[in-house]
Amino acid sequence: MTEHSAGPPDEYVEAAIQRLLTEDPDVAEQGITVARRERGLVLTGEVESPQRRAEILRRVAERFPDEAITSDIGVIRAQAPAQVEELP
Amino acid sequence: MIRIAAVGDVHLDADVLGRFRPALEELPDCADVLLLAGDLTRHGTEAEARCVAQEFGGLGVPVVTVLGNHDHQCDQVPQVVKVLEDAGITVLEGTGTVLECPGGRLGVAGVKGFGGGFAGRCASDFGEPEMKSFVRTSNESAAALGEALRGLDCDLLVALTHYAPVPDTLAGEPLEIYPFLGSYQLGQAIDSAPTALALHGHAHAGTERGVTPGGVRVRNVAHPVIKQAYSVFHLGDQID
Repeated sequence: MTEHSAGPPDEYVEAAIQRLLTEDPDVAEQGITVARRERGLVLTGEVESPQRRAEILRRVAERFPDEAITSDIGVIRAQAPAQVEELP
Repeated sequence: MIRIAAVGDVHLDADVLGRFRPALEELPDCADVLLLAGDLTRHGTEAEARCVAQEFGGLGVPVVTVLGNHDHQCDQVPQVVKVLEDAGITVLEGTGTVLECPGGRLGVAGVKGFGGGFAGRCASDFGEPEMKSFVRTSNESAAALGEALRGLDCDLLVALTHYAPVPDTLAGEPLEIYPFLGSYQLGQAIDSAPTALALHGHAHAGTERGVTPGGVRVRNVAHPVIKQAYSVFHLGDQID
């Protein structure tokens, strides 16, 4: 087995973050994607409130302090629909 | 004509209270019923269910729901169901209801559903007890939906699930997780009855429109997919 002094392979880190997003009771999100870009990890997806978005970043940064993480998580709009779908 | 409003995956908790309400206040003007496609809460606690009851109760139109996987997380399903029912919300699980609407009798049969995958690429009832239990859960859930659909006497029939009955509405999700997002058995159940529309949630990164192998229109109404408080569908122009 190869030893890496710099920490676990990237894929295991990404898997751990993906599981944290769902299994951490303070997050409990299944719709957030973790993608590795040139300058670190990017979290994408949508949540129901700004507080949840902030909590995701806080929890991930706390658990993985050595990872450069940026967020592109949006808050889902909740306005009334402007149009209906006719299904003849 | 019958007007159906629908949304799923609203994941309510105290931090979201009030966000949907302004749009929901408009419901009586634009819909005869509101259907909720599960994942009403984050963790399925009684406290979160009270948030759902507050946000989606007393709307002036009937509200019918199924539960989702999140609503099972804390093993408080009986308490969650009671809170919802006390707020006048009808909770379906392998059952159905008929609503008298101005445009006719709307039948809604619902079940949470389960994973398993889609035709030719699905799990089988074979091998370890855990795998057989997984697949049998899918089979039993779909069978209950089919029986509920076929048992309703109505003018327009709608199927309501949390898990997806077709892969079409999962487009955008990673292919690898399709078996955790739905099962073809749900589609088969929907096709076993004269269903006019099938509504589901669960697939946050999926797409809105699909169709079952039998030709029934399917809509993914997960909130992150529709990006509005609810969608409204008009059906049943032909009802006398």
